[in-house]
Amino acid sequence: MSEQTTSKSTMTMGRFGPARGRMGAPTEKPKNSKGALKRLAAYLSAERMRVLLLLAMILITVAAGVLAPRYQSSAIDRLVDRRFGEIPRLLGFMLICYIISGIGTFLQGYASARLSQGVIRRLRGDLFHKIIGLPIGYIDAHAHGDLMSRMTNDAENVSNVISQSLGSLFSSLLTLIGTAVMMLTYSVPLTLLTCLTVIGSVVVTNVLSRIMRRYYLKRQTLLGNLNGIVEEKITGLKTVTAYNLQDEASDEFTATSNELTRTAIKADIISSTMGPIMNMLNNMSFVIVAVFGAWFAVKGYISVGVISAFTIYSRQFSRPINEMAQLYGQIQTALAGAERIFTVMDEPSEDMSGQEESPVTEGTIEFKHVDFSYVPGKQVIFDFNLKVEPGKKIALVGSTGCGKTTVVNLLMRFYDPDSGEILIDGVKTTDISRKTLRDDVGIVLQDSMLFTDTVRGNLKYANSELTDEDMMNAARISNCDQVARALPDGYDTVLTGAGASLSQGQKQLLTIGRAFLSLPKLLILDEATSSVDTRTEKHIQDAMSELMKNRTSLIIAHRLSTIRDADQIVVMDKGHIVETGTHEELLAKGGMYHTLYMTQFAGQST
Amino acid sequence: MRTIFTYAKKYIVLAMLSSAFMIAEVALDLIQPRMMARIVNEGILGLGGSGHPDISLVISVGIRMILLVLLGSITGILSAVFVNLAAQNAGNDLRKDCFARIMHFSFSEVDHFSTGSLITRTTGDVDQVQHLISQMVRSVVRCGMFFVGGTYALVSLNLSFSVILVVALPLILADIIFVVWKTNPLFNLLQKKMDSLNNVIQEDINGIRVVKSFVQEKRENARFDDTQDDLLQTQFKVTMLMTFLRPVMNIVLNLAIVAIILVGGIQVREGAIMPGTVMAAITYISQILNGMMLLAMIFQTISRGVVSAGRLSEILNAKPELEEGVLKKTEHLTGRSVGEIVFDHVSFHYPGQSQEILHDINLRIASGETVAIVGVTGCGKTSLINLIPRFYDVTAGTVKVGRIDVRRYNKATLRNAVTVCLQKSELFAVTIKENIALGNPDAQDEEIREAARCAQADSFINEQPDGYDTIVAQGGMSLSGGQRQRVAIARALLRKSPILILDDSTSALDLKTEAALYQALRESYRNITKIMIVQRIASARQADKIIVLDKGTIDAVGTHEELLKESQVYRDIYESQSKNDEGGESRE
Repeated sequence: MSEQTTSKSTMTMGRFGPARGRMGAPTEKPKNSKGALKRLAAYLSAERMRVLLLLAMILITVAAGVLAPRYQSSAIDRLVDRRFGEIPRLLGFMLICYIISGIGTFLQGYASARLSQGVIRRLRGDLFHKIIGLPIGYIDAHAHGDLMSRMTNDAENVSNVISQSLGSLFSSLLTLIGTAVMMLTYSVPLTLLTCLTVIGSVVVTNVLSRIMRRYYLKRQTLLGNLNGIVEEKITGLKTVTAYNLQDEASDEFTATSNELTRTAIKADIISSTMGPIMNMLNNMSFVIVAVFGAWFAVKGYISVGVISAFTIYSRQFSRPINEMAQLYGQIQTALAGAERIFTVMDEPSEDMSGQEESPVTEGTIEFKHVDFSYVPGKQVIFDFNLKVEPGKKIALVGSTGCGKTTVVNLLMRFYDPDSGEILIDGVKTTDISRKTLRDDVGIVLQDSMLFTDTVRGNLKYANSELTDEDMMNAARISNCDQVARALPDGYDTVLTGAGASLSQGQKQLLTIGRAFLSLPKLLILDEATSSVDTRTEKHIQDAMSELMKNRTSLIIAHRLSTIRDADQIVVMDKGHIVETGTHEELLAKGGMYHTLYMTQFAGQST
Repeated sequence: MRTIFTYAKKYIVLAMLSSAFMIAEVALDLIQPRMMARIVNEGILGLGGSGHPDISLVISVGIRMILLVLLGSITGILSAVFVNLAAQNAGNDLRKDCFARIMHFSFSEVDHFSTGSLITRTTGDVDQVQHLISQMVRSVVRCGMFFVGGTYALVSLNLSFSVILVVALPLILADIIFVVWKTNPLFNLLQKKMDSLNNVIQEDINGIRVVKSFVQEKRENARFDDTQDDLLQTQFKVTMLMTFLRPVMNIVLNLAIVAIILVGGIQVREGAIMPGTVMAAITYISQILNGMMLLAMIFQTISRGVVSAGRLSEILNAKPELEEGVLKKTEHLTGRSVGEIVFDHVSFHYPGQSQEILHDINLRIASGETVAIVGVTGCGKTSLINLIPRFYDVTAGTVKVGRIDVRRYNKATLRNAVTVCLQKSELFAVTIKENIALGNPDAQDEEIREAARCAQADSFINEQPDGYDTIVAQGGMSLSGGQRQRVAIARALLRKSPILILDDSTSALDLKTEAALYQALRESYRNITKIMIVQRIASARQADKIIVLDKGTIDAVGTHEELLKESQVYRDIYESQSKNDEGGESRE
């Protein structure tokens, strides 16, 4: 239902005014509304003053609103009785009531806006800070679109309900009571008649919204399908074009679009009959009040002014009942959203405790009997033993899916091993705080991820205090200087859409520059140059051997030219180490490395 | 906007019907207060002809009122039905045409609009326009009718009431105009700030590894807080401006009611009107002013709808950049020369950019030849091969396929003859089998398997839970990069077109697999022209000839041995891959 992934800018605008058209929209039920309510109450209590202001204003507004028709009614009576002299005084009271109600409404709006601002600020802030602090494992295991939707849709729903629906609920209740009291003081039978029509309208609304919900659900699903097609076909437009599938894609789209339109027409027709039907019921009530009121007036039970008052009160009476019915659905949906938010907040954060002091003295890395599985029962690393001597360059090779990246994940403590341990200069990585560990280890990842910021900001990501001179130096070494200079504003060019305007190779160069600039004690390159041509890669390597002199580095690559001059090459297969040694040793051995090597450099002769 | 009108025009009859029913509904609503006045004046107060209260009149007028109410709601429902038919169908037409148009966009048009913007346009913007159409009919007609009809009804009750309307109306309008004028620019700003907050969230979730490895959690939290505060401030401003609208209107409305009772009082005293008429006047003025209030509410929808309509017009009015050629028949693409490709003094730069990507390229590739293209990042390799299936047009010179200028072919015909396996393997969320058969839906299972075997994909596909029938996750995320590439290659092979281009499509494959793939390609697809962009010299060496591209020009063409002698660029690339290496060389 509201789980549709809203990854792009589909975030709704803040809703203003009455929540029209939302009725009948599918609602979900929270599992434990009490728990969620309790925690939301904590957010509310932080905004105590604003809540109080809101409630006070509602009280005043409702009181004034309920009282005003009384004066109007009296004024009309004076008109009928031809006591014109008393009219101005009554109108004066009426006016005062309305002015108070007007000011109250305004202040109510202010309090509600401030309240909403405060709540969403803290709620979304807390959620974001939580997500940033979660272990990588959690984020890998959850759809990013889903996390996004909790940050946007769910948080917004909750804040809207808190700031608007709670206020409306309170004001509806008060209005209901106030109006009922007023009506009863005028005429009991007329009040009962009004109630009858109101109950009728509530029943009709309920039946209609139940029918509507069915169509809305179907429409929502179809809309999801349609958006799926659009997303897939437009992102994959190059493939669509290359394979001449434009017309097939359009046909598929047309079919879904037509079906959506048919469903949407049905859903919207039903929902737009709601207006006229409500209008009819209101008018019916108006007529019934008029006819019976007239009859009572002729009999002398009530005055003409009372009829006038009743026409206003009957409307005031039916509105809050309908509103409350809608609010119920909204509150349910918001509570379900709140539950989803709180589930994330209840996840344990990544443990950042441990030794703060850097353990790196020389730079020895040691894996001891490490076993690991992402999913229990599906082991991916088996008894991994490896010792990297200080200052050495070590390479991991092996076919796709053999566990190379997993080794990096373990070293960075993105994941922790099931058993065994990893030591840096004799200190267990589990004893070192993750902050210290990650400060020490620089990494260039497989997916080159850049931020919406200037090139300069991206390069200085690790530390914005670094000088431009350092930055230029790192940029030159990583060959990304020329990339930056070719951009319209050089280093001040803002990269948007994760560097969408750059080629894959150029992005890799920038991420390498970023890692070089952070001058880590240990460096990991995970397929960092896969999209860079071999000549440029060679330049980077030469520069790197200078930069990384006396520093340990770990390199993962497919291209054997990337890793050939490593001090030690580790060949992995299905989570096991099959051979280790230098390039020459491994070639001489004639094992798996030899086979890999032969296919690359002499592939044709086999 | 004009483009959008043509879409609405098709459903103009429905829209007119809807408007007519809407007018009827409002008219019926406007009759009621008058009948009510009659009940009060003549029925209760006995001020009519009979001179005494008349219950039978009350009942007969009451019954007529109920009938009118029923009639009113029927017209209201009919109006809703017709407007929905009009808006939804017009929206559907618009959506389908936009999508079909986008599907035929050239690559440079896609670059120009950007993928994300095209997606929002086909979804969000169409919705906005749909709203615009229905609001135009429903709310605008409704407000207009309440205004015109209500004013007429009010004035016809007693001319002196119109003075009150003349005073109240400008006040209400001033309030609306003030709020709209103030908020309108803020809405764009709000949208932008909302986008940047979404962007921060998306970037940080996707890039969580980078954030964590550089230990920048604090910085990202601060960035989020700043962006959110910025958004919330604007949001607050907008909400406050909107909050301003209602109380002011309510006060003006109630002032008007007070004035009506006052003026009415004087009139009643003079005997010009009766008390029931004053009650009717109160109802009318509330209806008129409430109608205006509705107008303020829909203003947002209208202004957003107009912006969206403009964005859609841009798509629909985009002139096709690549003119369609006339040669449709496949006989132009048969025979022995079909796989022949000639570049004749070809230069190229991307539309809207001045920097020349390719300069004076002359090249002839014979039918059935295997050609490798090598060169450093950004030298124009992909641009070169994009000219063959006419993904872009040359800026000077000609590209010929089968001895005919590519611009003379029908695009579909040309692209059936030239299959490109793209650098980025895009898979769709259907089964693996369907992904492979994408360009050849009639292919037999055995053909599909054959193509997959050649692409070295058969074995891993068989290991998938449902084999060839395994559904691929959106964007192919359930497969590894290398697996995606192999499915994409199988897809390209299955088309059996006379020219096959592999644009660095094996970069994620390990060496053994890549070698096996090229071996199979050589054996099973002997007769087709194969052009491949490669990074590894080892992959290039097996080609009949190697083209070395450097800074948009051809540096050299030849075999591996020839190039080692002739081309410095080639030697550089080669050496970067085989430094201090005896082993690889001596195997030859």
